[in-house]
Amino acid sequence: MFKALLRQLVFLLPWFLMVPGGWFHARADEYFVSRIEPILKKHCYECHSHGSGKMKGGLTLDSRSGWEQGGDHGPAIIPGKTAESLLFQAVDQKTGKLKMPPSGRLPEADIRLLEEWILGGAKDPRKVAVHKGPVEAWWSLKKLEKPLVPKGASHPIDAFIRHKLAAKGLQPALLTDRRTLARRLYLDVTGVPPTWEEAEAFVNSPDDDGYEKLVDKLLASPRYGERWARHWLDTIHFAETHGFEHDLPRAEAWRYRDYVIAAFNNDIPWGRFIQEQLAADAFYPDDTSKRVALGFLGAGTFDASSYSTAPKTFEYLDRDDLVHQTMAAFTSTTANCARCHAHKFDPISQEDYYSLQAVFAGIVEGNISFDEDPKIAKERSRLTLLADAAVRKDAGVLLVPEYQAVVQKWVEQHQNPVVWQTLEFDGKVKADAGTFKLQQDGSFLVGDSTPEKDTYVLTTNLPGKKWTAFRLEVLAHDSLPKRGPGRQDNGNLHLSEFEAMVLNPGQPSPKPLKFSKATADFNQEGWGIDRAIDGKPETAWGIYPQVGKDHQAIFEFEQPLPWNPESKLTIHLRQLHGGRHLIGRFRLSVTDAPNPSLAALPAEVAAALRKYASQRSQAEIIEIASQALKDYSGAELKKLPAQAKVYAAGATSEVLTGLNQGSTQNTPKPRKVEVLRRGDFDKPLKEAHPGALSAIHWLKARFDLSDSEPESARRVALANWIADANNPLTWRSVANRVWHYHFGQGICDTPSDFGKMGGNPSHPELLDWLACELRDHGGSLIHLHRLILTSHAYKQSSAGNAKGVELDAQNRLLWRQNNQRMDADTYRDGLIAIAGKMDWKMGGPSIRYFREGKPVQSTPTLDYQVFDWGSMPLHRRSIYRFVWRGIPDPFMEALDFPDLGLLTPRRESSSSALQALALYNNKFVLHFSSELARDVESKMSAIEDRISAVTQRVLLRKPTISEMQAFREYVTKHGLAALCRVLFNTNEFLFVG
Amino acid sequence: MKPGFVQRWQMDRRNLLGDIAGGFAGLALAQLLAREACSAEKPRHDFNGGLHHFARARRVIQLFMNGGASPMDTFDYKPQLEKLHGQKLGPSQKPEGFTAMPGALMKSPFAFKQHGQSGRWVSSVFPEQAKLVDQMAFLMAMQSKTNVHGQGAYLMTSGFILPGFPCMGSWISYALGNLKDNLPTFVVLPDARGLPYNQQGCFSAGFLPAIHQGTVIQAGASQPIPDLFPPKGTFTNATLDSDGLGLLGALNQSHANRHPGDSRLASRISSYELAGKMQLAAPEAFDVMRESATIRKAFGLEDKTTEDFGRRCLLATRLVERGVRFVQVWSGPQGATNNWDNHGSIPNELPPIAQSVDRPIAALLQELKARGLDKDTLVVWTTEFGRTPFQQGSTGRDHNGGSFVSWLWGAGIKAGTAYGQSDDWGYQALADKTTGHDMHATILHLLGIDHEKLTVRHNGIDRRLTDVHGQVIREILA
Repeated sequence: MFKALLRQLVFLLPWFLMVPGGWFHARADEYFVSRIEPILKKHCYECHSHGSGKMKGGLTLDSRSGWEQGGDHGPAIIPGKTAESLLFQAVDQKTGKLKMPPSGRLPEADIRLLEEWILGGAKDPRKVAVHKGPVEAWWSLKKLEKPLVPKGASHPIDAFIRHKLAAKGLQPALLTDRRTLARRLYLDVTGVPPTWEEAEAFVNSPDDDGYEKLVDKLLASPRYGERWARHWLDTIHFAETHGFEHDLPRAEAWRYRDYVIAAFNNDIPWGRFIQEQLAADAFYPDDTSKRVALGFLGAGTFDASSYSTAPKTFEYLDRDDLVHQTMAAFTSTTANCARCHAHKFDPISQEDYYSLQAVFAGIVEGNISFDEDPKIAKERSRLTLLADAAVRKDAGVLLVPEYQAVVQKWVEQHQNPVVWQTLEFDGKVKADAGTFKLQQDGSFLVGDSTPEKDTYVLTTNLPGKKWTAFRLEVLAHDSLPKRGPGRQDNGNLHLSEFEAMVLNPGQPSPKPLKFSKATADFNQEGWGIDRAIDGKPETAWGIYPQVGKDHQAIFEFEQPLPWNPESKLTIHLRQLHGGRHLIGRFRLSVTDAPNPSLAALPAEVAAALRKYASQRSQAEIIEIASQALKDYSGAELKKLPAQAKVYAAGATSEVLTGLNQGSTQNTPKPRKVEVLRRGDFDKPLKEAHPGALSAIHWLKARFDLSDSEPESARRVALANWIADANNPLTWRSVANRVWHYHFGQGICDTPSDFGKMGGNPSHPELLDWLACELRDHGGSLIHLHRLILTSHAYKQSSAGNAKGVELDAQNRLLWRQNNQRMDADTYRDGLIAIAGKMDWKMGGPSIRYFREGKPVQSTPTLDYQVFDWGSMPLHRRSIYRFVWRGIPDPFMEALDFPDLGLLTPRRESSSSALQALALYNNKFVLHFSSELARDVESKMSAIEDRISAVTQRVLLRKPTISEMQAFREYVTKHGLAALCRVLFNTNEFLFVG
Repeated sequence: MKPGFVQRWQMDRRNLLGDIAGGFAGLALAQLLAREACSAEKPRHDFNGGLHHFARARRVIQLFMNGGASPMDTFDYKPQLEKLHGQKLGPSQKPEGFTAMPGALMKSPFAFKQHGQSGRWVSSVFPEQAKLVDQMAFLMAMQSKTNVHGQGAYLMTSGFILPGFPCMGSWISYALGNLKDNLPTFVVLPDARGLPYNQQGCFSAGFLPAIHQGTVIQAGASQPIPDLFPPKGTFTNATLDSDGLGLLGALNQSHANRHPGDSRLASRISSYELAGKMQLAAPEAFDVMRESATIRKAFGLEDKTTEDFGRRCLLATRLVERGVRFVQVWSGPQGATNNWDNHGSIPNELPPIAQSVDRPIAALLQELKARGLDKDTLVVWTTEFGRTPFQQGSTGRDHNGGSFVSWLWGAGIKAGTAYGQSDDWGYQALADKTTGHDMHATILHLLGIDHEKLTVRHNGIDRRLTDVHGQVIREILA
């Protein structure tokens, strides 16, 4: 068998392999190029090459690594082994299911050549041919340098625009009329149309600088931030629910929205905006009020179902969303396209992509807590460090003079022993299963059957005194496993709940006693005594590994109780954890000692306290100080105001797993991220380390962070990489976005993709000039807005002309301004404002403009149609609307409010019958038509005046004579509200002008 | 769709199939034609309305069994499970997306019998569909890449496991437009008890213009289409409305005259005319009471168990009959009950939900045939994934993307076929495996669309319904 095979091999060996010598490689290469490559090119490249842009089944055959890595079925060729080479089997078509190429079997001679080549070791000299030409040749990756402004116009922007227009033989349009200009400016900058009075004031202004002043006034208006925050929220797919299967609301997400509004209104430098959103916690550790910026990290979707049942899938996909969002929003790069293979069109490797994933490997989305007041944060941090030092018994912290007085006072309060009176139950002791034997010392030994769970119930009367606390002692005993005090095999116990009820004479039912505090001399880790009074049967107190010893727990009353001797006291010791974690021996007592002296102290502390101060050893002094400062820091921490929350992401976050339900996740160390073959996490190739895109070779693409650095160092490094003055993508990206919103079309018309699949910039020099202006003026967007808004290009008319349409139908060269349709938000805000029903209040939790019903599963049901617009006197701007990702508002959707499952760098603007129905018949439009009519009717009585007034308010002009005639006829017949509705449906209103 | 400003607005760009041109506003028509001239592809008469080749089907009804219908208790008979019942042979670790550790192998509690000439095995839960197996083509070994509902439902509706991508109905609307302009192109009929997993995500137009969004219709609601008429208790009435539309038309026309050369204005004008047509057509189309008592009874409208699904199947029949292109009918809401997600007990939970769809589906197929609609209507029965052959708890089954069953019926389908085979337990697809992408590719193929050619560039990628996958399953084509 072996011999036969050998014979066959020898027979099949290509001739050059039988020739020894140094020219072996060169000959092999030549053989490949002349004999094999043509076959592959002719028959395979169409579906398996970068050139064709196709990699069917994940396979490329235009490089050696292509077939080595192979596709979905694994490596395509195993050198020397035709039987194991899928490619050969596919072309040979004798075995296996796979038959290639689909057009039919290759000529026999070609198949034999391939066989010969594979058996000979499949020598293939080709390297990956993904990126042809120097990377920097692509416009968006070129270094950013400020171009010279062409001559020909006083405004630099117009100079660039006219230069291009002239080359095409086109002229810019004339200035638009002042009324249209005012409307355009208000809607663009503030998202709200001007009032009639505002428009009139501008039209009639004798002031030559009137326009510039208006620009400045509007940019300084808080309405500006509200308008432009919406653009950013679209870009990063911010919404206030998870999306996916369990579309849960995020009640704390709004704080980030308010942050974005404030950031725009305060014109914070763009570089800082980037840093704050990615790593405010690390850039501004002391200014905790900035933590809200981290809401950026929690803007996107969250698959709560995968999070709990398919964690690996979840992790990679969730980070993918964050990488996609970050790189698209800040750098207009589609890095996510390199998840399964090197980016087909742009110079982004898989390693780049997974390096970006590694940046976010230490965080999980959820609520993060923070102090809105940095001073409180400082205090909280001091106390937390002190509490930690107390646990560590760190003398360096505990014995500083600063805390001496605190410790002294505590010692005084705890020095006198508390007198405890043992409770007697007179046989009124029950359990579900156990039996009780009263001991000499007043304790009970529980015996006989040992159930999984049990509840001991003890009932007694008490003499009338002002009682302040109970003490529960759990006591060791030789008869118990490991001497107890528990009955579990390991001597442990779990007290789920300690409850006491008092039945006063004349009362129908017993009342539960409330405890202010519980302390124990020892707490098992994660099983503190506070869990015995938290009302949750699933949490409990435990004492492991301190078994075989006595322990005690003290439960202090919220208020000292003046006892009625007739009152009946019932104590429940609920032990519901299961696994026989039951108390084996215990004693209950009561005291009337005043509160500060109470608390169950560890044995060492109690012993130290019994000594004279002068006789205490250093160790005992530390014991006392640590206990004192533990109590102190705990009490002081409780006094601090509660922390605020924002839905974001962090190493510690409260993940929202159900409706109003969260679970805290700690990620002490970033998870390992691996480069995955074909994006399949069952096929890891190698570990990826935090980094960014290597295509910008003058910036460091791998961050080289050591393992000891905190997770946030990764985010800091990425933020710095993005915000770097020499990152050309960043500044071009934001300059183009700003331009896009002002003109309805970017200089590059794919604002989140500057790659080869994106659009080519119409004015690359202008874009670079704007990017440099922005970068070099402190990253001020206001500066950029002002430049753009004062250009003729912005102010020109949107009217068409034949030549322009003929030469540049898409208006890429800006021979006129674009007449944009109002988007969903401006339309909605416009109607409310025109009707005089806008509440201009800023910020705060979002308004739910729907009726929320009981969930079928965990996502509530929403009904937008039944929302009663009359139920509130005023309404808030659309930016304060609660946006439910998976259950959108049908009215807003009809006006192209985007699906925020994905990033929306640019909104669509559609028109359809369903949109017409919504605008004509939706309750919202009808309601504000009525409100506008009512407002006007209350102010004037003549029908002509009313008609003029509503026309002015909606269309910012007086009705023409013929319109007046038609309107009067219609209003006389159907009322003023009906006319308002018609006006709100006109194209004149809907299009900006 | 490489967008320039002028082309960014979208209108009902494909509704120029010959049969609807009449009555359209002349101006709008001219604009549409101008627009069509610059778009790459449009439905062709010689392709029977197909885009790339002859269309065998012109309308689609998708029946979606929400929750993951168990194959080995319905259509995929597994005698081995009877032999191995009670044995712990499954994976020793919890696979991704399983909600619990797999238990022992569990046989189906239902009796299986062979049916029809084709001899398909069907369990006792589907007595009515069993009679029609010779008309169906079964995909017996479908596979999903996820065991999570949300992801799975997305995969079977939009081809991606993530939100934000257009679903099949939206793609078809985008590619082919409507057959008639007086009803929405894409209608969704969710279960009366609630929305499926992902809420409205499985009928989103994603990044396609809003016009391709599924119109969600609550069967039995007072207004079939949202905002079809103004709500009661407002200042409106019929004359006011129509006088207002007249006034609006005049205002918009004069505005358009002042702004020549902007086709968006004309499109908005015509959108109100289309809205008017919809007001005329929709109330009739959505009124199932116009069907005879015999037909209503056949669909199970008189029986509480079948009433809701039956009404929606009957509605689907009426809608496709009247030119709606794509109708999605959901069985079961999200949640732990009243759907196909039978974790707790196959014997208790599966029969009621199966019963609620069985008779209505049979009636749907029979009625489509009776009305001659089977010649160009495709019906697809599917679900997001299958269930484990292992027990969960004592008699339930967990999620399993490894293998599940779907069937297709109607135009262009080879009746009485079955393609694919799962392993002896029904745990994994074994031979002739198919995926949601393959199914989508096949459906598009029948509609005259090459799934690889129907693309829209979005954020740097030419997106398709079938992602980078999908092969037409020719074995089930007539």
